[in-house]
Order: sequence, then C-alpha cells, then structure tokens
Amino acid sequence: MDSQGKIVIPPGSAGAPCIQAKALDIGYSNDVVVADINFELKQGKAIALIGTNGCGKSTLLKTIVGLLPSLGGQLSVFGMPPGSYHRRIAYLGQFHHSGFVLPIRAIDVVRMGRFPLYGLWKRMGQRDDEIVFSAMRTMGIEKLADSPLRSLSGGQQQRTYVAQVLAHRADLLVLDEPTSGLDAGGRELYLQAVNNELRRGASIIVATHDIQEEAALCHQVMLLARKVVAIGAPQDVLTPDALLKTFGIVVTGDKRLQVIETQHGHGGPEPPDTKI
Amino acid sequence: MDLFITPFSSNGFMLQAFIAGILVSIACAIAGTFVILRGLAFIGDALAHGVLPGIAVAILVGFPGIIGAAIGASFMIGGITLITQRSRLSSDTAIGLLFIGMLSLGVVIVSRSNSFSGDLTRILFGEILGISIQSILIQFVATFVIVAIAIICRRPFLMLSFDPEQAEVAGFSVRLYHNIMLFMIAITVIVSFQTVGTLLVFGLLIAPAGAGALLSRRIEAMMAWAIFFGVLSMYSGLLISYHFNLAAGATIILVTVVIFFITFIIQNIRHHRPVHPRELTHG
Amino acid sequence: MKSKFVLLSILAMLLLFTTLACQSEVTSNTGKKSIVVTYSILGSLVKDLVGNQATVTVSVPNGLDPHEWEPSAKDIETINKADLVIENGLGLEGGMEKTLEAAKSKGVKFFTASDYISVRYVGTGEGIPSGDPDQAVGAADPHLWMDPVTMKSVVSALVPALMKDLNLDVAAQATDLENQLDSLNTEVANIMAQIPQADRKLVTGHESMGYFAQRYGFKLIGVIIPSLSSQAEVSAADLAALKQAIEDNHVKAIFTELGTSPAVAKAIGDETGVKVVELTTHALSSDGSYFTFMRDLANVIANALK
Repeated sequence: MDSQGKIVIPPGSAGAPCIQAKALDIGYSNDVVVADINFELKQGKAIALIGTNGCGKSTLLKTIVGLLPSLGGQLSVFGMPPGSYHRRIAYLGQFHHSGFVLPIRAIDVVRMGRFPLYGLWKRMGQRDDEIVFSAMRTMGIEKLADSPLRSLSGGQQQRTYVAQVLAHRADLLVLDEPTSGLDAGGRELYLQAVNNELRRGASIIVATHDIQEEAALCHQVMLLARKVVAIGAPQDVLTPDALLKTFGIVVTGDKRLQVIETQHGHGGPEPPDTKI
Repeated sequence: MDLFITPFSSNGFMLQAFIAGILVSIACAIAGTFVILRGLAFIGDALAHGVLPGIAVAILVGFPGIIGAAIGASFMIGGITLITQRSRLSSDTAIGLLFIGMLSLGVVIVSRSNSFSGDLTRILFGEILGISIQSILIQFVATFVIVAIAIICRRPFLMLSFDPEQAEVAGFSVRLYHNIMLFMIAITVIVSFQTVGTLLVFGLLIAPAGAGALLSRRIEAMMAWAIFFGVLSMYSGLLISYHFNLAAGATIILVTVVIFFITFIIQNIRHHRPVHPRELTHG
Repeated sequence: MKSKFVLLSILAMLLLFTTLACQSEVTSNTGKKSIVVTYSILGSLVKDLVGNQATVTVSVPNGLDPHEWEPSAKDIETINKADLVIENGLGLEGGMEKTLEAAKSKGVKFFTASDYISVRYVGTGEGIPSGDPDQAVGAADPHLWMDPVTMKSVVSALVPALMKDLNLDVAAQATDLENQLDSLNTEVANIMAQIPQADRKLVTGHESMGYFAQRYGFKLIGVIIPSLSSQAEVSAADLAALKQAIEDNHVKAIFTELGTSPAVAKAIGDETGVKVVELTTHALSSDGSYFTFMRDLANVIANALK
C-alpha cells in the first residue's frame, strides 16, 4: 500500500488473480455443501455471491478467509493457501457473537479493524486515529464514536461493523450480507464506500441479497443454490431463467425484479426493499 | 475513625488479610472480566470446585495447598479441554460431572485426615485471617503475571470477547488465546482460594466484574470498577466480620453480592423506561 | 455522573450500616494482666488458681468443640494481646493451630500444659478395632484433663510460670488446689469402686478417655470415631469391627460425646442391644467447676456400668 492507501500491485503480477478456485468443494466436517466451484477474482475487481440462505454463500466466504477448511480441489488467495495473509484481508461475518455484555464503544469497534496490521505489540499512531475517524465519517456515524455499542440501533451497529472493515484498508474485502439491517441512507453510504475501495485498488467478494444495486456494480456475479448455477457478468447472469433456478420463483414486472424465496431457502432475511 | 481504622492498624493479621485481599481482588477483577465477557462462568465454577482433590492431597501429605491446587487445576483444564474438543453437544453435562467427581474425590481424600470437618471448612470457606507472608508473596507474583498477561494480550482478548471469528481472521489464534484465558482463570482460583475458600471464590470472580459491566462503556473501565469493588468488599467484609464476629470469607462475598445488586437496582431505576433505539438517532 | 452517584450511595450505605450497628466494646484497662486459656476445663482451674489477680479469658466457649472451634478476628486479637496464653498442647486445639503458631512467632508468652505431664500414648487395639496401622496408635493423647492427678502436675507447674511471666504469686492457692484435686481423685476412685473389674470397659465417641482409664483401671474397647479428634470421619469397616468388639467383650454401655453422630451411636446400640449414654467429656456444667465436672462424669459412668 502506498502512502495514500492505494494498493500497489507488485510489477509482473498485475492482473494476477486475488482469489483462484479450481474444482473446489466446500462444506462442514465431511458434508459437502457445494462441489466443483471454479472461478477467479482478479485484483481490483468485485464479485457478488447470490443465493438463498443455506446455499453455500457463507460457507464459501468462510473457506476463503480460512475459518473453514476446504473439502477438496484447490483454493489460493494471493497465491497462498487461505488464512496466510491476515494483514491483507478484512472479513465481515453475517452474525455477531458478542452478546452485548461487552462494554465497548463504537470507536473501539472500528479501531479493531486496524489490529491485524499491528499484532500484539506495535503501537498505533495518529495516522491510525485519522483512518478510524475517516471510516466512521464515511458511514455517517462519527457522532456516535463515544456511544456504547449496545445502545445503538441495529442499523447503527451494522454501520459500525462496516466502518471497522473500511478502517482496515485491506487488499481484499470478504463481506457476508453487509447491508442487512441498514436503512436506505446507510445503504447509500455503503455503496459509495465500496466504490471508493475499488478505486483504491481493493478486491471485493460479497454475499448479498441486493440484486438491484450491489450486484449490479460488481464485475462478476455467481449464483449459488448448493451448486454453481451461473457465473459471469451481471447482465448475462441475472436473467429470469437463472434466478428461477436459484430461488425457485421469480416474478418480474416493469423492469423491477421482485424475488420471493420459497422452500429452497431456509427462511432467510426479508426480500430486499424494492423502491424506486 | 476508631471503628474503621483501628482493627487494621492494631492487628497485624488484619492488615495482612487486607493486603492479601487487595491482591486477590486485582487478580479476580481481571480474570473475572473475561469470565463474564466470554461466558465462562460455568467453567470458572467447575475449576473452583475441581481444585479440591489437589488441595486435599496437599494437606494430607503435607505440602503447600497452593501446589496441590495447581495440580488439581491442571487436571481440570486438561479434562475440560478434552471434553470440549470431543463433543460440542453435551460438554455442559460432561464438565459438570467432571467437577462433581473431583469435588467428591476431594472430600473422600480429606476424610482420611484427622481433622476432617475442620480441614474441609477451611478449604471450602478459606482462612483469610491466617494468611502467611509466603502466601502473600505468591499472590503478589501471580497477580503480577495476570496483570502482565492482560496487558500483553489486550488486543486479542478484546477481539475474542467481541467476535471469535473476527479474531481468527485478524490473525489471533482463538485456540491459543482461549487457553491463555483459561490459564489466567486457573491461576486466579489457585491463589485466591485461601482467602475466601473454593466454594465462594467464584463469587469474587463474578460479582465485582458483573457490577463493573453494568457501569462501564469500555473494558478498561469495567476492570477498574471490578478492582475497586473487590477492594471495597475486602475492607468492608473484614471490618464487619471483625465487629460482629462473623466468618470473614463469607462476609466478604456477601458484600460483593450486595454491591452487585445495589448497582443493578440503581442502574434500572435510572433507566426507568427502556430507551428506544430510535431516540438515539434522531435528536 | 451516574457512576459517581452509584459509588457514593454504596459507600454511604456501607458506612451507615457499620456505624449504626457497631457498639464498640470498651476494653477496661484496669492494669491487670490478661491470661487467655484456650478451653474452659483448663480455664476453670486457672481461674481457681489466679482468682482476682489477673483477667482470665477462655477462647473456646464452654460446650463448643475445642478440636474444631475456629477463632474470629476479635478472638485472634485477644490472643495476640494477651500477657500469657495457656494452651493444652498435643494438637487439642485443631481449629486454632495457625493462630497459636502465629502468636508464638510474634513473641506472645505461652504455657503448654502437656509439657508438664507424663503423656499417654495410644496403645494397639484400644480404640482401633480394625487394627489399621495409620489410625493413631502411638499418638499422644491430648485429653489430659480427664485425670485429676495429671491436672495436679499442671497446677504445680503453673506456679513458677506465673511468677516468672506475670509476676503473680499463687503458691498458697496452688497448694490448696492440689489438695482439693487429691481429694477429688479419692472421691472418683470410690465411685468407680462400685463397678466390678470385669465391667470396667469403655466404648466412647472418640479416643478421649485414655487418661481416665489409665487412672481408674478401665479397659478401652473401642470408639466410634477411631481418632483422637472428634473431627475425623466414621468408617464402615471400623464400625463393623466395633460392633464385634462390643459383643465379644459384653460391654454394658456405649458412651457418646461431643462430635459423635447420635444417629450412628443409636444404630450401633440398636444392633447390639447395648444402651447408649451421653457423656459430657469436653465441657463444664453450669456451675463452671472442674470438680463438679469430674464428679458428674464419674457418676454417669458408674450408673451405666454397675
């Protein structure tokens, strides 16, 4: 990374894949959830994973960051096995375990985003404070810095978790449903932030239900339904046919896509807000 | 003034008890903070009871109780680690059985001694009034170690308490730091049981830190409150037990629990209506 | 702000509570020496000896078990500040061990009664029906107050000690007391004479009657808790052996005492058909006199066995 936080791609590796999966099987213990995944994420690009809950999105993301072992095939992240590069990868999980007994302020949560870069010992400096504050401003929560996390609304907490990821200034962002719980304003800020990250040179892999906006701004989209239904550019992949295979029922009208989940899903979050 | 200071100033053993109490309060505040934040209450309780056979053997054979407690604690931790690794489903039951087994084993061992009831009472309820200088020195070292660990590992501990998955991805091995936390708790139980006994030391771990959790926005503040409440309990408990001829260890624990509930009640009165989250964003 | 409020209210409540209820005891500083005796039986003789010349305080309240009793903070303070502490020795005061040791190392003056008597050691088969080697054979018996003649030795030894440590002259009172103890001894021997030799067999709660048996020609058959302390545990094997011993020796009564489980004693009594009698061995009666204590003890035994 250079002094402005822009990612410097080592010469000769420009265009080298950030994530590369060949015949990858993922799952838990010995149960394969999705088999034979093949894709590549090039540096500086974004890919969205779309599918119902239980389709394998979260499993794939966890395997990429090294929380779950792969069950077959090959997976490399920045050319190394998953879990090798803590400093370069930021992860936002779907559920948060803290239980809210933990006394912690919003600013402390965002600050944790810098920890992977400093480990146990190294001291953080003024620049880190600026980055932390900038991340909070990006998500519109700078006034809540001193507030205890447990006193914030669901939407504000989610903004805080996103800010934490932004504060890392990682090379690769691995995000699982980052917009769940965000209100319209929060979603706007998030999308702007994602654009900025891409402009900075970061790569993004994001599991999302937001087909309208988020998936649309990615370079690639992967549809998952316990198998890879389709993978490619958004306009090619997000067809009614492919969505039918993924979700079960699709009702379209007026260029709007309204997606209803059926028994395929395990009762996931509500369908995305379709305003406009 | 006479009521509050003289019992300590004119009695060496009271002052020694108080000093031991301060050290124990610091250790328990730090370990107790993580017991609460990481939901380790059950394991903490199991450890406190599981050290009994070790202590019993130590008394019977004649070496210091602390060493016996250390052996017992290692056994318990080994057992707990094995159990939690094998089965996620029934680890509560298995751990419960393990510590009940250790507790019974301890009683059986103590029953071989000539001063069974007395020994058992002293192990279960402590003998803070008879703390020796050597014990205090050991407590000092242990407390120092615990403070050092808490400072060195503050970042991984914070992340672990916030979200273990995040911690793992950030490069802090959950397994390693979780075990360090268990180790910290074990050391705390090992050096603290002489003051308030193995039955009640768990209270000293939880009550001051619990009260601290209610009052704090930050983890450092929580620990600071926990230390303060612990020391306050030691002082008041010793003072009250002196003036009223009560069992010192149990009185101290009673005070910690009272402090917790006072804090709890006051907090709830102040927030007499639940604050709606929306009110925080608008205005 | 709210934290400070919480803090202040807690402090205030604690201080209020402590202040309201505390009645500070005014220690009368009359200039008299203070003697602390660990238990009441020895304490009563010390009081007889010393009279008004010193303040005598007894640590273990009469009726509580001296083997197990633990001192409170104030009790520890009294011991630490005493001019002389008179203890029994031989491990009688189990719960006070640490306190007494700490006081000794702080330089408090001590008089240990057992240093001045001929100590009795537990013999084989005395109270250990199963003959288990690790059960107190060869151990020193601390129950020295059970024999008036032994107590006489203690009283004699106290005279020079009190002079040296406290500058108290009790020679005249000592002679008086020693004579009384001699009379008591004769009296008890006469009461015991009512029991034929063949029936002079004792089964007790724990091994407390050694000195008495030695003095008055009794045989110790067995005990319910095979230990010199009431604090040890009953074991099934020992109880079975005890039952056998009771039947083999045609014992006429089982004497329970402080610290014996009444339920266990009754069970053995029912099974063997032997009557269970309560014997007060570690506490004075209401008049606080050693002499009454020994007389009552002797009478209860005589009535049960003759």
